[in-house]
Amino acid sequence: MAFDTPQNDTLLSAHFSLRYADKPVLRGVRLEIQRGEVMGLVGQSGSGKSTLAMTILGLLEKKRAHAEGSIQFQDSDLLQLSERELRTLRGRSISLVLQSPLSSLNPALRIRTQLKEAWRAHASGTNSDCGNAIRTCLESVSLPTDDEFLRKYPSQMSVGQAQRVLIAMAVMHRPVLLIADEATSALDVITQSEILALFRALNRSTGMAILYISHDLASVAGICDRIAILHQGEVVECGTTEQIFANPQHEYTQRLMAAMPRILPAGPSIQHKTQAAATR
Amino acid sequence: MRSESMNLGRKLACAVLVLVLAASAAANWLAPAGYARQYRDATGAPPSRAHWLGTDEIGRDRFARVLYGTRISLLLAPAAAFLSTLMAAFIGGLAGYLGGAWARIAMAVTDLFLSLPWLFLLITARALMPLNVSPLVSVLVTFLLLGLLGWTTAARVLCTTAASLRSSDFVRQARAVGLPGQRLFWIHVVPNLKPVLYAQFWISIPVFILSEANLGILGLGVAEPMPSWGSLLKELEGMVSVGEEPWKFVPLILLVVVVTSFQLLLSRQEEIAA
Amino acid sequence: MKQHDRGSKQLAYRCGSAIAVALICLGSLLGQLSAQSGELRFCLRAEPKTFNPLKVEEDSSGAIRYLTGGVLVRVNRQTQELEPGLAQSWKVSKDGRQISFRLRSGISFSDGTPFTAEDVAFTVQQLMDPALHSPTGDAFRSGTGNVETKVISPTQISIRFPSQVAGLDRLFDQVAILSQHSPKKEMAVLGPFMVADYKPGSEVLLKRNPNYWKIDEQGRKLPYLDSIRLDIQPNRDVEMLRFKRGELDLINSLDSEYFDKLAATSPQLAHDAGASLDSEQLWFNEVAKSPIPGYKKNWFRSANFRRAISEAINREDLSRVVFRGHAQPAMGPFSPANKFWFNPNLKPQTYSPDAAMKSLQSEGFRLENGTLKDKDGNTVVFSIITNAGNKSRERMAVLIQDDLQKIGIHVNVVTLDFPSLIERMTQSFDYEAIILGLTNVDLDPNGEMNVWLSSSDSHQWNPQQKTPETPWEAEIDRLMRAQASTSDLKKRKEAFDRVQEIVVEQQPFIFLVNKNALSAVSANVHGAAPVILSPQTFWNAERLSVPAK
Repeated sequence: MAFDTPQNDTLLSAHFSLRYADKPVLRGVRLEIQRGEVMGLVGQSGSGKSTLAMTILGLLEKKRAHAEGSIQFQDSDLLQLSERELRTLRGRSISLVLQSPLSSLNPALRIRTQLKEAWRAHASGTNSDCGNAIRTCLESVSLPTDDEFLRKYPSQMSVGQAQRVLIAMAVMHRPVLLIADEATSALDVITQSEILALFRALNRSTGMAILYISHDLASVAGICDRIAILHQGEVVECGTTEQIFANPQHEYTQRLMAAMPRILPAGPSIQHKTQAAATR
Repeated sequence: MRSESMNLGRKLACAVLVLVLAASAAANWLAPAGYARQYRDATGAPPSRAHWLGTDEIGRDRFARVLYGTRISLLLAPAAAFLSTLMAAFIGGLAGYLGGAWARIAMAVTDLFLSLPWLFLLITARALMPLNVSPLVSVLVTFLLLGLLGWTTAARVLCTTAASLRSSDFVRQARAVGLPGQRLFWIHVVPNLKPVLYAQFWISIPVFILSEANLGILGLGVAEPMPSWGSLLKELEGMVSVGEEPWKFVPLILLVVVVTSFQLLLSRQEEIAA
Repeated sequence: MKQHDRGSKQLAYRCGSAIAVALICLGSLLGQLSAQSGELRFCLRAEPKTFNPLKVEEDSSGAIRYLTGGVLVRVNRQTQELEPGLAQSWKVSKDGRQISFRLRSGISFSDGTPFTAEDVAFTVQQLMDPALHSPTGDAFRSGTGNVETKVISPTQISIRFPSQVAGLDRLFDQVAILSQHSPKKEMAVLGPFMVADYKPGSEVLLKRNPNYWKIDEQGRKLPYLDSIRLDIQPNRDVEMLRFKRGELDLINSLDSEYFDKLAATSPQLAHDAGASLDSEQLWFNEVAKSPIPGYKKNWFRSANFRRAISEAINREDLSRVVFRGHAQPAMGPFSPANKFWFNPNLKPQTYSPDAAMKSLQSEGFRLENGTLKDKDGNTVVFSIITNAGNKSRERMAVLIQDDLQKIGIHVNVVTLDFPSLIERMTQSFDYEAIILGLTNVDLDPNGEMNVWLSSSDSHQWNPQQKTPETPWEAEIDRLMRAQASTSDLKKRKEAFDRVQEIVVEQQPFIFLVNKNALSAVSANVHGAAPVILSPQTFWNAERLSVPAK
């Protein structure tokens, strides 16, 4: 495992284990995210990716989740923070974008209301301050800012639009870290690439770090600086995208590479070989 | 086309409600003789110029009784329905949202409530009340009781709905945005309980109106000579055919029309949202 | 009318012979045929609790006892006179303790067991057996000691009671004679019908008793009917509906609303037999230890106040509006329908709010802004409770509420479920005024002993008095005891006439109306003559006939 970036730029440094409902879910997970980088976290479903994201945000049920270790974020250990302290971080310093945009928006509320609530959670000011903030963040995700759009209910929008609204909500308070949990998996290929491009653009323009969680190594490859591979609750490999793709160390990573539906320049023969090796 | 017809329906509903409310508010002028006056020489009379809806069995003007009864029922039944809905939302919704021990306690209380021998309790309630209460106090107490007791079934539904909302994506997303718990409940849970709450509210109104009439058996409910929709509906007991005395059905029709109008008018937003 | 009768009898005769033919030729068809010919149908409003005639305490069992039981003497429900039954003649001794019967001979029970004086002795011993708790027997229990029965011959018996029993002979109208020896026990009967089938919750089928002793004027055996089918049906709406559909032949008692609905469409089927013995009354709580305010007790215990209330109530309107004319303003505690015992000197009670007001003013009451106040300035307000669901009582209460408003008295009407009402009336005495009815089955005032004696539980306005609290209650006690201790009818009548006068004067019960006996009889039924006494429509069941369909 390579830690080749300077220490002083580390935004988040996690080293912890987690038991949920008395079952070990994450085992000695080590993960570091640098300021401004896009970090990929890849693993198949059930590997504990989402749990990891939830642990960072402190959103797991306190009674059932027992974490040991630490998650250093900026100057504090997230695992030691109170709910109150965590709440001030959520949405302001660390924000989250979930997989299915339509169910992640409250179907009973207008877009404007939901954005307003998100703004009010960490800011106070006049209605026009709030309006400005909403407009700015909507512009940043290339959504219309007119009244007609703001009056819409989630059910009246396309999936892509809904995902942009969620992203707008997530970047509203200019967080230093955005966690995108399978944020593009539910989208069609074209929308997917648009959203990925949006993430990349936001990362470049605001300098916020992104923890990009996905089961799909291919989609991660396009935007991530570094990739961590999570397998059965452990980070089995972590490195730059080039490293991972060029020289996968762990057997699981190799299998992931082999299963990629993309035709690599090296040609199908390699793929065959690795696959054969894996099955043997 | 559709929205136009809806618009028409809404206008109609609005007109009906304004008319009914105005008429009942103006009962003193429209029926100056009052609801208690007994025309003992014209009992059980069919509609006439003097008595637009005829008279009841002891000769009281049915039109006057409908007007005054509307005042009572239209004010108190929705008030009681609102009370019970609020309690259901608070008890069921909050318990479901908080989950865990809270939900268990709330549901145990609800089960206890559902299994209580109501008849016995209501008889006790009547026994605790003095016999000499004015008709108005009697009907107020009755609707208050109905409001305080009618929340249980809705609370169960609300509890499960709220529990499923709690683990929903948008609540998780909202928590990730940093909304405080209280805000989460009011902004994200309550609005999504609305369909259940609406249903509870609208079902409660006619149920309470009829319950009030039936509680007369226990010496609760509106007391003579004051009218209520419930006591007017009681006239329909044992009627065999509609054709016989159709004017007696006016209170029933009024109840149906008013409840439907309210529903039409207030469910507008829901329809647009859907 | 007469022709009508004869026609029906011929018809019955013909259908009887048809059955005889069927019996011989087509035995298998018998059930079907007899079910179709001459069957009377009506409803019992509750499940009969017993078929033992001595244990009867509710109406359904009472109806079956009336139809199946043979009695020594029968009160003719029409004339109210006592007529011979199984006994040809009878004699009550001077001291009123002993009665001797001379019985008919050659009679047998429905199962063929012969009937003798032994059976009467057996029945009386059973009746008076304390272990059986016979409600019918209670009427005979006047003192401690055993009943002596002496069988003189198979057709002669004398019965001696430990002490005097008022109206002794008439009480035997309720005593259906049991067989001492029949293996079928109480199912062996002497009346016109016998129980043939009983489906709990559904119906009781009575068949003609082939051994019934009575014959009509033409020498034909009674009863004319082959069977009576009694459906158990508590719902009166259903009962009415089925009557209208022709599935039922009789409705024994109707309330005025149903009656008018029926009369509107088919007046010939609705029968109003006039005022019955049943009364409706209002009374105030005069119990000294009741939990009501003292000043209210003072009003209620004042005869003047009670008389004023009585005068302020428009009884004409009650019978006209509430009962649609099918009730008569009550004149006193006994209905004029009770031909012998009603005191003919009683006059209709006057309605005069002015007179009521004057008499209230004489006691210091005064009107202030339309509200009546007593001499200490207390506003005159009281509540009237009645049992919920009884429409006519609720309506009477509302009319009275309106009447009393005219003399400045505000009344709150409260309807209560029956158990709560009874609890307030008999246990907690937490009430001010009640409207309830009194059902009189008995013509003889002796049956009302429990109402009039001040020491009794049923002396409702002020029960269980250790000693009479007022001179007039003492006087009623004395008169009631006096009439009970003699068998001299004239003396008894004098005493009871005086009781009626005192009650009207003191108004402990403010008698409101006597309800008419309303019934319905289908046009199929021949020989029907509804009366005011129970059983109103089928008192002459043995002479009713229904044509075969």
